Amino acid sequence: PFHFFFCDFYAEERLVVSLINLTSRDANKIIREQPLTMQEKRKIKGTVSEFFQSMQVWQRTLKIIGGKFGTSVLSYFSFLTWLLKFNILSFIVNFSFITIPQLMESKPNNLSFNSLELLTGAGYFQQTVLYYGFYTNSTIMRKGISSSYNMQLAYIFTIGLYLVICFFCLLYSMACSFRNNFINPHIYSRGTAKVVFSWDFTITNEKAVKLKQRNLTTEIKETLSEIRHENVIAPLKQRMNHLGIHLGAWIVSTGVAIACCVAVYYLSFYNLKFLTDHKNQTATLLLPFIVCCINLFVPLFYSSFGLVEKFEIPRHQVFVIITRNIFLKISIIGILCYYWLNAVAISKKECWETLVGQDIYRLLMMNFVFTLFDSFCGEFLRRIIGTKLIKSLGVPEFDIARNVLELIYTQTLLWIGIFFSPLLPFIHMITLFIMFHIKKISLMMNCQPPSKAWRASQMMTLFIFLLFFPSFTGVLCVLAITVWRLKPSDNCGPFQGLPSIIHAIYGWIEILSSKPGYLWVVWIYRNLIGSVHFFFILTVIVLIITYLYWQIIEGRKIMIKLLHEQIINEGKDKVFLVEKLLKVQEAQKKPSPFSLSLERREVEVSLKIWWIDLESERSEFPPRPRHLLAL
Amino acid sequence: MGSSTSQLSKELLSEYQELTFLTKQEILLAHKTFIELLPPESQNVVDSLTAQVSRVPTEKVLTLPELKANPFKDRICRVFSTAPEKDSLSFEDFLDLLSVFSDAATPDIKSHYAFRIFDFDDDGTLNKEDLKQLVNRLTGTEEDTQLSPSEMNQLIQNILEESDIDRDGTINLSEFQHVISRSPDFTSSFKIVL
Repeated sequence: PFHFFFCDFYAEERLVVSLINLTSRDANKIIREQPLTMQEKRKIKGTVSEFFQSMQVWQRTLKIIGGKFGTSVLSYFSFLTWLLKFNILSFIVNFSFITIPQLMESKPNNLSFNSLELLTGAGYFQQTVLYYGFYTNSTIMRKGISSSYNMQLAYIFTIGLYLVICFFCLLYSMACSFRNNFINPHIYSRGTAKVVFSWDFTITNEKAVKLKQRNLTTEIKETLSEIRHENVIAPLKQRMNHLGIHLGAWIVSTGVAIACCVAVYYLSFYNLKFLTDHKNQTATLLLPFIVCCINLFVPLFYSSFGLVEKFEIPRHQVFVIITRNIFLKISIIGILCYYWLNAVAISKKECWETLVGQDIYRLLMMNFVFTLFDSFCGEFLRRIIGTKLIKSLGVPEFDIARNVLELIYTQTLLWIGIFFSPLLPFIHMITLFIMFHIKKISLMMNCQPPSKAWRASQMMTLFIFLLFFPSFTGVLCVLAITVWRLKPSDNCGPFQGLPSIIHAIYGWIEILSSKPGYLWVVWIYRNLIGSVHFFFILTVIVLIITYLYWQIIEGRKIMIKLLHEQIINEGKDKVFLVEKLLKVQEAQKKPSPFSLSLERREVEVSLKIWWIDLESERSEFPPRPRHLLAL
Repeated sequence: MGSSTSQLSKELLSEYQELTFLTKQEILLAHKTFIELLPPESQNVVDSLTAQVSRVPTEKVLTLPELKANPFKDRICRVFSTAPEKDSLSFEDFLDLLSVFSDAATPDIKSHYAFRIFDFDDDGTLNKEDLKQLVNRLTGTEEDTQLSPSEMNQLIQNILEESDIDRDGTINLSEFQHVISRSPDFTSSFKIVL
């Protein structure tokens, strides 16, 4: 039988974790409602308020960054904090359900430790809980406790549960930001009014304010000239020229990306042979080094296209850069996954899952080293060059898109690596924490705020969507292939000896079907999860609901247009009546009593009718035809 | 914060918590900041809360680091001041200010006060003159950042085209709130935190 006998042990930690995101007022209310003694409540309150203190310091840092650089740079640091929370959750889930039981059963580690191994992850670390290969496939029994802990099922269910939580969190965040950003697709959305009315009150530094004012002026002037030239169609030759340059840039960038992928492909297959020949540990760092170099230099190459390629709408330039970089990064991860799943897994090496885990660990570590190098040397050198040598370049700007894409790339690698190395989130947590502080210091010392307007919330929606669509869904595909198709290694890991990892679940269902009390689980498995009809019906229902919502949206758009026209008409009526009233008042000065009172009564009656009309129309849908101007 | 808790009474603190969007720590910090702005003879709790005795003149409030660099600092103080001459802030005015600019305030109240801040002639609508002054504040006072008159006219024309729904040449509160509702960055940028 499969029992979670660690449930109560972690209840307190789970309560503290759930209180972290609330305000202190709500947190106190929830603590008050718990059925615990005063001392236990005091302990929980102490832990939570300790956390709040460190959160205050964190919030203070974010406020300083926002005050000096504005909401756009702040959005990068908020994104980093959000990913950090994800990793903390992953670490807690994995550590409690997989690592702690394993630690209770672990064998002692006799290997020696070498400091190079912090970077390569091999050697000493190979026989620790860091990697898949260390976990046992047995059912853990302890003397004195009657129930047992099945490691195979624990491993697969914990990772599955974590991925399901991630999926729903991402979906929820995406839906929230999408809803906030695209509520009213109105006809006039050039956005000058929005820009003018949304001055950033959080900027408190005088120099930053002056800079922002200068940037705003430039942006307004650019928008105005765009509007002036909008109706001017460029001559055909110029348009063909532009189109040619764009096409050329796209071909070159795709070509470079494909060339890099081919290089990584051949290098990785060569790497396998290279490693069997050279048993040196440093040799294992070759592949990560090359991949990180590609990730560092090719995006810079892409940015240099900006010198030649001109865009009519500057925002398109950001989108194009993001698309090219994402394409590059995802293809490289794709090639590496292909290499891991097709070459390493089949290669009959001793413990291929641990090898894949080590590769991912090395990639992450090397990436971290390169980021440190980039922040310290790259931005620092660029500032020196910009201020001392070539004065026209100026201080570098903080490149938000490149940094956020770096975060998405490392998070993708991490998600793939969780299956092969359950403690990887812990290491990534530490690296993210260090990176936050390094980036903050580098930002304060070396950079200036971005000059082009950066719609922070629209960009964040895009980045969360990118985190979901190529990144998370790709990870799900890779893990699905691993679980369903690949044969786990024979001598190590929780799934040793099985034909494929999913057979652990099949075996468990077989065992359950012979026990009378658990037949409902078997029924759910066979008829809901395992059957095609259920998913077909579910898909049809979801499609019908989507279609209904789409029709509602179309109907509302028509309604908005009609109401808009109605408002304009009422404005015109108001102006008409006011003019008539003024005419009447002027005519009052001429002595002609009979026609005067008739006209005045006319105006009064029509004003009354207009008022009643207005009142009744406010409570009536759809709008009635207008009778007013018949007077 | 231990010494400050003994200064503001608990009833007053909870009343302020209920009536504004601020938390207890924020109210205490606001009180501490406000007391420091008062002249030395009124730097005690009783006097600081009596609006008749102690109002801080606008010039002193504008020395706060959060407001010093803001292009709209004088308008902010004018809008939140309840004095007849609109030239000084009492403690409750100061709390109102911080409450509207806090994290927890609703977008509705923020847009309402933003409208009042941008309404330079206080007539309840944003006409062309108000918009002109607004744009001048946004672009700064230096020579090279100001817009030329033709650019200014074109800009105001565009703004009115986008926001003036009933085509009467001015932007009233509902139209302003409608424009703001389409700008998701507004809530996060209309913030001042001590």
